[in-house]
Amino acid sequence: MKPMLSTELDVAAEPAAETAKIEVRHLNFHYGQSKALKDISLSLPARSVTAFIGPSGCGKSTLLRCFNRIYELYPRQSADGEILLDGRNILDRSQDLNLLRTRIGMVFQKPTPFPMSIYENIAFGVRLYEKLPKSEMDGRVEHALKRAALWTEVKDKLDASGLSLSGGQQQRLCIARTVAVKPEVILLDEPASALDPLSTAKIEELIDELKDDYTIVIVTHNMQQAARVSSKTAFMYLGELIEFDKTEKIFTSPREKRTQDYITGRFG
Amino acid sequence: MTVAAATSLHSRRKVRNSAMMTLCVVAAGIGLAWLALILGALVWKGLAGVNLAVFTEMTPPPGDAGGLLNAIYGSVVMTVIAVAVGTPVGVMAGTYMAEYGRFSKLTTVVRFINDILLSAPSIIIGLFVYELVVRPMGHFSALAGAVALAILVIPVVVRTTEDMLNLVPNTLREAGTAIGAPRWIVIRSVAYRAALSGIVTGILLSIARISGETAPLLFTALNNQFWSSNLNAPMASLPVTIFQFALSPYEEWQQLAWTGALIITLTVLGLSIFARSLTGRREDR
Repeated sequence: MKPMLSTELDVAAEPAAETAKIEVRHLNFHYGQSKALKDISLSLPARSVTAFIGPSGCGKSTLLRCFNRIYELYPRQSADGEILLDGRNILDRSQDLNLLRTRIGMVFQKPTPFPMSIYENIAFGVRLYEKLPKSEMDGRVEHALKRAALWTEVKDKLDASGLSLSGGQQQRLCIARTVAVKPEVILLDEPASALDPLSTAKIEELIDELKDDYTIVIVTHNMQQAARVSSKTAFMYLGELIEFDKTEKIFTSPREKRTQDYITGRFG
Repeated sequence: MTVAAATSLHSRRKVRNSAMMTLCVVAAGIGLAWLALILGALVWKGLAGVNLAVFTEMTPPPGDAGGLLNAIYGSVVMTVIAVAVGTPVGVMAGTYMAEYGRFSKLTTVVRFINDILLSAPSIIIGLFVYELVVRPMGHFSALAGAVALAILVIPVVVRTTEDMLNLVPNTLREAGTAIGAPRWIVIRSVAYRAALSGIVTGILLSIARISGETAPLLFTALNNQFWSSNLNAPMASLPVTIFQFALSPYEEWQQLAWTGALIITLTVLGLSIFARSLTGRREDR
């Protein structure tokens, strides 16, 4: 089934060929009493990169954290509205959260390798839902590390602790770990903001390679990065979605004045 | 400000600084001196009595030579049982507080009560177990002693487990959750693993704490001049034996008390160094 496009924001210029992987409808989010997201509606095309930009506290990370419902780890955080993944509402009570999270992987701002070996870091997630013989698991680990462009650097020390790697390598290990469980969507929450420029470039290259197979959503406060890696960009401000369009359009001829002000550095 | 004024300010500050530093060094020296004196006396008098008999013979009757074997054995047995009972309870309670019940009211209440228990005088624990176990059973027993020690182990382990798990960054839990791991697997494979050395340190420290406890054993395990491995009967222990022997007028007994005190001190020292090395390694990473 082809989900409807949310009419207000995806203006007619959209090519019809794009299928929406994730469709957000009238999403509100609360941290206790304070409202962090206000009536967000947008649809994210499959197998492409969508960027969320906006000043700190605008709700871009909050929106990202709704897609795998990771916010449910904490009390007093709640979302209402609809988020359709392939047409099924994942905010539904009946949604199995662990299964949802195998379909929607996430990489965080700070690298978060588990306190175990490089090999185990990747095998850990795979083992949760698949029973693989050793040889297949080896292959899966190798494949994931290759996809994350880390294989050549670590192939001789797979037994070393994941914590022994450099920051940039740790982040790629986290991407490998996410890729290894074969998700459909990968959420990236400012994945390069704690890294040096060289590591950042590697991560961006990686995103470019992964977008052919995965639907990628990236939150970034770095506008150049959004411009470089994404095909669509959403600008958010104070919990509202101000503008959502092709990245090119957002950065060259935005419709909204607030978008214009933000991307030209007048505030934020 | 003129150069002269600045120079005088500088020299005044220097004087004040060295005066303060002298006071601090003296204060630290006073504290350390007592410790050195105590340890020195202990090693000096304790070492004099160290021989093979200490580890192979039973506590002697007054005026006779003997050893501490039954007391050492009793201490080891009761400590092992106490740790075996107290550790799982403490670790699980700490896990509840840091993981499942992190945001619940119950955790705040339990933490408050646990802190009180942590600083409760151990003689009160002894009396409590006396009422709870010794009186209904009708006699003193090693088991009652182990229960009293277990009650001392629990709050220490609860506290360190909770603290160490709280040190595990939330992002690590989120990462585990985000990959599709159910909560208990995140706790077992990620949080415990990250906090392991800290939790083990807490257990070691609790052993160090109970190995010197006398008061809770006086009312529970009592003492035994003879070899006994019966958990249902009174059992000797190093601290109680030291207490008894040190107060006695017999020279052999007093010597054994010094030696026993040295054994306990060295054991606790060894455990503390081991615990230190574990935490140290964690910080290196």
